[in-house]
Amino acid sequence: MSALRHSLVAAALVGITQSAAADNLDFVVPFAAGGATDIVARSFEPIFSEQLGVTSVIRNVAGASATVGTAEVAKSEGNPNIIGYEPAGALSIQPSLKDLPYGPESFTYVCRTVSNPMFLMVSKDSDIDSIDQLIEESREYPFLYGSSGPGTLPHLAMAALTVKSDLQAQHVPYSGSGPAMNALAGNEIQIMADTETILENYDLKPLAVFAEQRVEGYEDVPTFKELGMQDLEFSVWQGVVAPKGISQERADAFADACRATVESDRFKTFADKSGVSIDYLGPEDFKDFVARRVEVNQQVLKDAGLTE
Amino acid sequence: MDIVLAAAADAFTWQALLAIVVGTWAGIIIGGLPGLGSVVGLTIFLPFTFGMDVITSMALLIGVYCGSVYGGSITAILINTPGTPQAAATTFDGYPMTQQGRVGEALGWATFASFFGGVLSCVMLIVGAPQLAKFAVNFGSIEVFALVCLAMLCIVGVSRGSTLKGILCGMMGFLFSMVGSDPITGADRFTFGQYALSSGLTLIPVVVGAFALSEIFVRFASRDDEAARIPEARLTFPGLRDIGRRMVELLRGSFIGGFIGALPGTGAAAAAFISYASAQKLSPRRQHLGKGEPDGLIASESSNNAVTGSSFIPTLALGIPGDVVTAMMMGAMVIHGITPGVRLMADQAQTVYALFVVLIIVNVAMLILSKPSIGLFRYLFKLPQGFVMGGIVMFSFIGAVSVRGNPLDLIVAAVTGLLAYVLRRGGYPLAPLVIGMVLGPELESSLRRGLLISRGDFSAFFTHSTIASVLFVLIALFIAGTLWSGFSQWRKDRAAAGTPAA
Amino acid sequence: MTSTLLHPRIVTAFALLLVGAGLSITAWQGPDDAMLVPRFVLTIWCATALMVLIGELIRRAPVAKAQRSPLPLLMAAVLIAAIATASLGFLIPALPLVALTLWLFRVRQPLWLVLGTLILGGGLWFLFHHVLLIRLPTLLASGLI
Repeated sequence: MSALRHSLVAAALVGITQSAAADNLDFVVPFAAGGATDIVARSFEPIFSEQLGVTSVIRNVAGASATVGTAEVAKSEGNPNIIGYEPAGALSIQPSLKDLPYGPESFTYVCRTVSNPMFLMVSKDSDIDSIDQLIEESREYPFLYGSSGPGTLPHLAMAALTVKSDLQAQHVPYSGSGPAMNALAGNEIQIMADTETILENYDLKPLAVFAEQRVEGYEDVPTFKELGMQDLEFSVWQGVVAPKGISQERADAFADACRATVESDRFKTFADKSGVSIDYLGPEDFKDFVARRVEVNQQVLKDAGLTE
Repeated sequence: MDIVLAAAADAFTWQALLAIVVGTWAGIIIGGLPGLGSVVGLTIFLPFTFGMDVITSMALLIGVYCGSVYGGSITAILINTPGTPQAAATTFDGYPMTQQGRVGEALGWATFASFFGGVLSCVMLIVGAPQLAKFAVNFGSIEVFALVCLAMLCIVGVSRGSTLKGILCGMMGFLFSMVGSDPITGADRFTFGQYALSSGLTLIPVVVGAFALSEIFVRFASRDDEAARIPEARLTFPGLRDIGRRMVELLRGSFIGGFIGALPGTGAAAAAFISYASAQKLSPRRQHLGKGEPDGLIASESSNNAVTGSSFIPTLALGIPGDVVTAMMMGAMVIHGITPGVRLMADQAQTVYALFVVLIIVNVAMLILSKPSIGLFRYLFKLPQGFVMGGIVMFSFIGAVSVRGNPLDLIVAAVTGLLAYVLRRGGYPLAPLVIGMVLGPELESSLRRGLLISRGDFSAFFTHSTIASVLFVLIALFIAGTLWSGFSQWRKDRAAAGTPAA
Repeated sequence: MTSTLLHPRIVTAFALLLVGAGLSITAWQGPDDAMLVPRFVLTIWCATALMVLIGELIRRAPVAKAQRSPLPLLMAAVLIAAIATASLGFLIPALPLVALTLWLFRVRQPLWLVLGTLILGGGLWFLFHHVLLIRLPTLLASGLI
């Protein structure tokens, strides 16, 4: 009923009484408020801090492909009151691309929260119906593929595909998925690799999925492995990290709270509504996963000539 | 028809109306305070929307957005400091009017033009969203490059005093925008090995430094001067006959804003500059522009507010956010389970119609709330000058640092403030700096993408599409016209002086 | 002659030319594709800066009488506060800066000075940092100040 009045008053009171508390948790989101990752983080944060029994405040620290906010977490070594809600790129791609003040070993890994496999897609009006046909036609006239920026997952997935198949395609980066979709609608680019959300929202045609198994709801979309191309698994994931040097108890508490959060009904409802798939990994698994992804991505960057 | 009535019923709940009033009023104040703009305003209000239903939360956010775009004009007119970058072009004629003692008239025109532009763009959104969205899709990288080139030329128009100095400042702004990662290859540029610089410079801190902080330094010299005091803010709405006389200007500004807003990735600041430049070419009173002519105010304010409505066109019709603000709105929709995309209009018609109704109410609320908001600023500016300046320093600092939570932005604001003071003393116009920074990134990335698409052949740009060809012809005409008028002016001057200037 | 060459407008134009030239060196050393547009922009920059400099030299605007003013003090304070924020948090550098601004703009009564500093500096910081939860840079890890 009086949601507006209540939330205004409540937020003001909560702010005054709780944000001054000494054991406040800083919840760093390395994007500006309102973006896709920020929305997931803002749905995750209240449940997480409730589970942990502390109050937390979201801090949006944006810039440089999310590495500024990630560096903010990394540099707080030993601080038990800061965590970051991180995208895949900042943890597993950027460290290999650039000289950053952090690396994969700068963090205490808490958990992976969500993960969505990527699809290779073309416009619905396109007469191309399969990967083989795509590769065949690209021999006559090379295609252009879009991405949400240089060094992003859509870029990397496509770069890996051009290395591992005979697909002739060149990269054209845009300043986000939205502008890239505009270009696809105007036939400026022909191919794009992105998640199910993009596929559904913009009504595109999936040709293959960058995953080990076929994806539920898209049973007729083949995986690259079935098509005879190995090691083409890319997904857009997010996870929670803390700085290194925090106590084991604190790390365990974070991990427990994270697990309880992703298993909560509230978060599940949100995930259903917004089209992200919950895919939990615990601290050890998450750490190994990131290490593997860093390795794979490094190889792709090298093969595609993006790094030495 | 039923669906429209149901949508109107959704929008006319007391929660939604309260949200509109609170949001619009807060938006006007936040927009008016130098340093705090649309993004900070929305960041403040975004968390509150989590507990609301979708229409109420949209009403709150749209109110903040539209209010802040209008609010930026108040301080632009009163103290020559645009409250938001979108209002930078409002200072050209707004502040001269204030200096001539025509504050009430200036604020009245700014308010009415904002309202007019806002409402007209709502109409464009409601009537022509699908068609406009389809047309906007034709604007690929090469067409956008041509359009932005044309817009860049307005630097020449707004460089009062010295065109050369204006171009120099424009290039400086362009270069500011290049610091950090290259948008195409991702390589670091002009960072000099400093990691902090790799995130680049953003618009708000630069605008805060160039306008708000430098204004404090400029006012410092005349701090004991009674004549330099900030005049009392009043609001006198223009009469119907005046409005009729300037109807063409209102319509032109609103349509330019409405159209620019429908293209993803351009935004209200660019629209205001483009509209101002076109008024300089087309207004019947163009020789007074820049000296306190309401037509200049109308050009700027009608177009930047017209962007508010039409920026929803790509968002609602295609699910492509037009700018950072609509991207935030899209996020708020996702929280409530509405995924923007190509099928939104069909699947969620009632919500979309309710949104249209909300947009119109917000613009009406803006008109009604303009009086009390300006009243508030009247009281604020009545305080001793020290408090006003101290407040501007604080809001500038808070605004600069909270855009993306990076302390570097504060240093950027301070350094730009000092630089801008030196430049102002040297007779350099600062608006081109903002234009360069607003349009530069789009110009560069569209050029580079265009080169990728045409496989490195620049000459292919001219014949890429009809739209591109037309735009390039317009550019050629503009340059020829400017050179010709400059040349004839020079001949006139020489004839008048008798001897060439030594 | 030297005094006219040291005219602020000439110095400004000359400094802009120098900066443009310096950045050009960086741009021409960098990678071709990423530096394509910067090279264009810097070429225009240097050309216009040179023309502006020549224009200023020809025009020789009258030298304004140098006035002693505490403006450089205010400028330095703004710059120092901005730099200090990264390490000291927002509140601590903001308070003296606001106090100095008030003082220089002739708010000299102790009561008003203290009250103004507390309300504008402390109050606005508290409003944004703790009430609206727009986090500003902090000194302590807990985010208290």
